[in-house]
Amino acid sequence: MPEKKRRRISKKTKIQLTVFLIVYVTIGIINVQYLPKSPSDILGNVANRWIVGTGPWYLRINPMTIIMSLAVLTVIIWFAISVHKEYSLIPTRKQAFAESLMDFVYDIVQSSIPDERFARSTFMIATTLFLYIVVSNLLGGVIPGISVDVTKTIGENGEIIRNVKFILFSDTWFAPTADLNTNLTYALMVLVISHYFGIKAKGFKAWLKSFIEPVPFLLPLNIIGELAKPISHSMRLFGNITGGGVLVLALSYFVKYMFLPPVLWGYFGIFSGLIQAFVFSTLTVAYISAQVG
Amino acid sequence: MDQESTKLIADAIIIAGKAIGAGFCMGIGAISPGIGEGNIGAHAMDSIARQPELANSITTRMLIADAVAETTGIYALLIAFLILFAL
Repeated sequence: MPEKKRRRISKKTKIQLTVFLIVYVTIGIINVQYLPKSPSDILGNVANRWIVGTGPWYLRINPMTIIMSLAVLTVIIWFAISVHKEYSLIPTRKQAFAESLMDFVYDIVQSSIPDERFARSTFMIATTLFLYIVVSNLLGGVIPGISVDVTKTIGENGEIIRNVKFILFSDTWFAPTADLNTNLTYALMVLVISHYFGIKAKGFKAWLKSFIEPVPFLLPLNIIGELAKPISHSMRLFGNITGGGVLVLALSYFVKYMFLPPVLWGYFGIFSGLIQAFVFSTLTVAYISAQVG
Repeated sequence: MDQESTKLIADAIIIAGKAIGAGFCMGIGAISPGIGEGNIGAHAMDSIARQPELANSITTRMLIADAVAETTGIYALLIAFLILFAL
């Protein structure tokens, strides 16, 4: 009888897992203690997170977007450094993962943009967006963590006062892609880059001529079609992540925020998040190739 | 009818309108993405059955097409959130 091959878990990993479980259960118990009274207490302020108000600039930005963007950058840079440190001809597991990811994206870029000059830059843009969105979507909900609560009240003179309050352990982490400002920035960046590449590839006159094709009568339709691209590009990601977050928030109220959020985020964060990140970077490649080709 | 009860009735009508509006928005808005994604999935299954060796590339393209077809449903979800929480 052949001996069954077993994967050994090292003692360090066991200790880490135990500590994680204890911390997780403790956070769940704390959540039960300091739970808000009803789900509408939280859900009522969901819309205030992303509506531009009036007042000084520090009340108009979402602090969670900045904190979580920095966290995402930290994770990506840490991964890059740890791959770079043990870089060798015979790849380790991390290096093989990174290389196969880059290879996967480069194949997609090369099949739609044959021109080598633009393929390299497009590859860099698409990979950067893909990595950022993947990490932010995954980080967005696996751990119960900090959240921000923005309340909006109307003052005596009719002006809108916005109070920002941090809540610990009441929500999942806020994904930076659940803020429309982040997504719209990237979508507009892709639009500008695609037209810049279009001018570079075809020349200025041919680029202008592409707006009055097939007949000059269609000029307004072409311009609207170009302007609609970044809107649908950013709204798709934003709606998916925000909708997933709100659904998780509403559903996890029933189990007092303890065990359901990670399970639900398995769908909304990992599956949906990965697909949306892939779609975002693929559409980036498609928009650029439509201008270049 | 005095002032207070008029205000109460007005608030009740506002809440009822919000709920009905959000429900209709999501319900009608979810029809067309459902039909579209069903079509995409059906044709992808057809082509995989015809050429099983292309299953990988067909699946990735199917997911992209699904996400694009989903967009109108996501717009409906956003409008429903706006009606419920921001109006």
